[in-house]
Amino acid sequence: MDSPAISAAPAIATEHLTRRFGDLVAVQDVNLRVAPGQFFGFLGPNGAGKSTTIKMLTGLLAASSGRMEILGVDLAQNSVEVKRQIGVVPEGMALFGRLTGSEYLNFVGRMYGLDRVTAAKRTAELLDFMQLVDQPKTLVTDYSHGMQKKLALAAAVIHGPKILFLDEPFEGVDAIASNTLKAMLQSMIARGATIFLTSHVLEIVERLCSHVAIIHRGQLVAQGSLEELRAGVQAQAAAAALTASGTEGVTVASPGEKLTLEEIFLRIVGGTRRADQELSWLG
Amino acid sequence: MAGLIFSRQARGQFAAIAFVRWRLFVNSLRTIRGRLELVSRGLIFLGFATLGLGGSFAMGAGAWYFASHGRAELLALLLWPVFLFWQLFPVMASAFTENMDSSNLLRFPLSFPSYFLIRIAYGSLDPAMAVGGLWLLGMAIGIGVARPAYFVVALAILLLFAIFNILLGQMIFTWVERWLARRRSREILGVAFLVVIVSFQFVGPFMRHFGPALGPAVTHVTAQALPIERMLPPGLAAAAVARALQGEYILALSAFALSGAYALAVGWLLTVRLRAQYLGENLSEAVARAARPGAKQKIQVGWNIEGVPGSVSAVVEKEFRYLSRSGPMLFTLVMPVVVLLIFRFTPGKSDNPGGILAHASDLAFPVGAGYALLILSNLVYNCFGPDAAGIQFFFVSPVRFREILLGKNLAAGFVLAAEIVLVWLATCLMYRPPSWDVVLATVTGVFFALLLNLIGGNFLAVFAPKKVDLGAFGRQRASNITAFASLGIQAAVVGLCALALLVARAYQHIWVAAIIFVFLAAGALAAYFLVLDRMDAIILKRREVMIAELCKA
Repeated sequence: MDSPAISAAPAIATEHLTRRFGDLVAVQDVNLRVAPGQFFGFLGPNGAGKSTTIKMLTGLLAASSGRMEILGVDLAQNSVEVKRQIGVVPEGMALFGRLTGSEYLNFVGRMYGLDRVTAAKRTAELLDFMQLVDQPKTLVTDYSHGMQKKLALAAAVIHGPKILFLDEPFEGVDAIASNTLKAMLQSMIARGATIFLTSHVLEIVERLCSHVAIIHRGQLVAQGSLEELRAGVQAQAAAAALTASGTEGVTVASPGEKLTLEEIFLRIVGGTRRADQELSWLG
Repeated sequence: MAGLIFSRQARGQFAAIAFVRWRLFVNSLRTIRGRLELVSRGLIFLGFATLGLGGSFAMGAGAWYFASHGRAELLALLLWPVFLFWQLFPVMASAFTENMDSSNLLRFPLSFPSYFLIRIAYGSLDPAMAVGGLWLLGMAIGIGVARPAYFVVALAILLLFAIFNILLGQMIFTWVERWLARRRSREILGVAFLVVIVSFQFVGPFMRHFGPALGPAVTHVTAQALPIERMLPPGLAAAAVARALQGEYILALSAFALSGAYALAVGWLLTVRLRAQYLGENLSEAVARAARPGAKQKIQVGWNIEGVPGSVSAVVEKEFRYLSRSGPMLFTLVMPVVVLLIFRFTPGKSDNPGGILAHASDLAFPVGAGYALLILSNLVYNCFGPDAAGIQFFFVSPVRFREILLGKNLAAGFVLAAEIVLVWLATCLMYRPPSWDVVLATVTGVFFALLLNLIGGNFLAVFAPKKVDLGAFGRQRASNITAFASLGIQAAVVGLCALALLVARAYQHIWVAAIIFVFLAAGALAAYFLVLDRMDAIILKRREVMIAELCKA
């Protein structure tokens, strides 16, 4: 179900990306292609290998084997150059709790090579955009979870990255903060940036992302635009219905019916449960 | 209540919790670090065992003496230290204890008596309980040896005293828990606690210095305080034993009953708080402060340190901001001056009014500077610890760890330089200005020692990182592995410095030591940069362990 050949050089490309933890193969032979300017959703059930993949792509975890290229640069060979071009909001948000929001952003800006004045100017703009200006003396450790997420995103974009990696950016975020985050992400896409995000909230991914990849048990099982995935699932279901008419549990979407991302996801990863499967002690 | 506690369900729950604790311990041994920590803990256990058994013997001997010489009321002299140790040590040495957050158990159908018992049981599993218990047992045995017929009586009285101590410690903890949930409160308490601890250091020197003048006043206050002391638990326990030994059983029983009343009162106060928690109040959850509307922020530009890249300047600035917000850490940084002050008021053998260092005031500056370096090792040996989850940022940022460590080390160097200036000023004010050759030898020696500490510290920060909160007191020590490795480094530093000083002494010129230190420092500087250049590769190999350790909840 791979997408047609992408003409432009990929923003993110992996070849046979594999990561083992002892005997466990967390990510196996993943070949990803994300074109520049795409809003890319990376999905998978719990433990499928999403976070492991994003950690490898951002330098937080070493790959056991395989290649990773970001904007045509080999991550293993020139990680510093790659890191200059990307912004990251990792799972733990990577915040320094005992700085104030402005001190943190200023610090991050300077670590990305901005001069002192530019870093301060962008800090002010970001705090204003993220509606964090009312907390001038509050330490980051005292921020609410939503405020910390907004600050982490602000830090990830302060240097104007070409690619943004976001690991569960909407987890634990209220509707107001979520709207702010989405507005920022969409404006980045409008300016040509590439966004790679993992999320369990499929409604948000469906609304925001133009392209999606699904990883299951460490292997990439689908990749492409939402339309391509939808068409693929429907074609597979139709073929299955033809070969085994009357098979239980296989429903074919009628022509014109638009499968949601959740339905696509469940069909691809096989997220159905036997109807007769019950827990004996539950009434 | 007993029925509820020892019901089949309750027994099953206790067994399940004990099993979880056991599995947590066993699972921690899966990593090499976990096994090394076990070895470290074994060594610490030996220390506590020595303290407990040695103290038990000493307490037993003291109790035997008082009981056999008809001075049993003086047992209070032994019981007060036990009481103070029991209540203060858990706060001082909280790094050695692992308390399970029992509020997590509330989601299970535990009865209140079971919950109460679990809180008490797991809250009391600490060295203070073990050492204090051993001391009291030693006292009971001492009394038993002196007056065998009264062993059981003494045991019962001291057991009640132990129960009181356990309940009091838990009660204080639960009552201040809510207050401690606020970061600022923790910081204030941390500083206050350190001030109290340091104040104790001044008691002896001050008494010796001002003792003769204060003598009558102290005697008067002591006389006034004695009746109060006798009505407090240590005094009551001593009185109960003394009266029993004298055959005054009614009075002994009265003192015992009063001790019991104290235990009941403390137990009741503890029950009130624990019941509130049992009913759903989260004692650890402070009310979040509301934002002040309209409090706009003026953004300041970052620091610029001439001669170093902007990223290094940014790291130095970040380190200083962290340090400036750590009350306990700031307090420890003025400790070298406090130590000089203590020496100033500690009379020497000849009762010189200038204090213990007066006859060798040239030692004051090196002692202060050396102590400053020793204190700084807290920061140096676990330099990523305060960053916690922020370590992830360092891994995703385009800055090499060489620069990050350089920034952290520079910050440590600046702090040490400021401290040495402070110590020099304190020495000039309290003693006399140290001679130039002593200053030179000290500064070069400290610089050499700093470099060795930075080399070792950078390795330890990578190989045994531990998340710490610089703003809170307790649990803020580096890992046990780091603690033991640092001892080795300090031993090497002291050995080399001593060697240089011996050579200087042979030539009868202290500046010879300064020359040796300059050469040693040059070698150490080369080694420092050699190691620094290799840190990126080392850290990248260790990144998963570092992130896992520092991002722990």
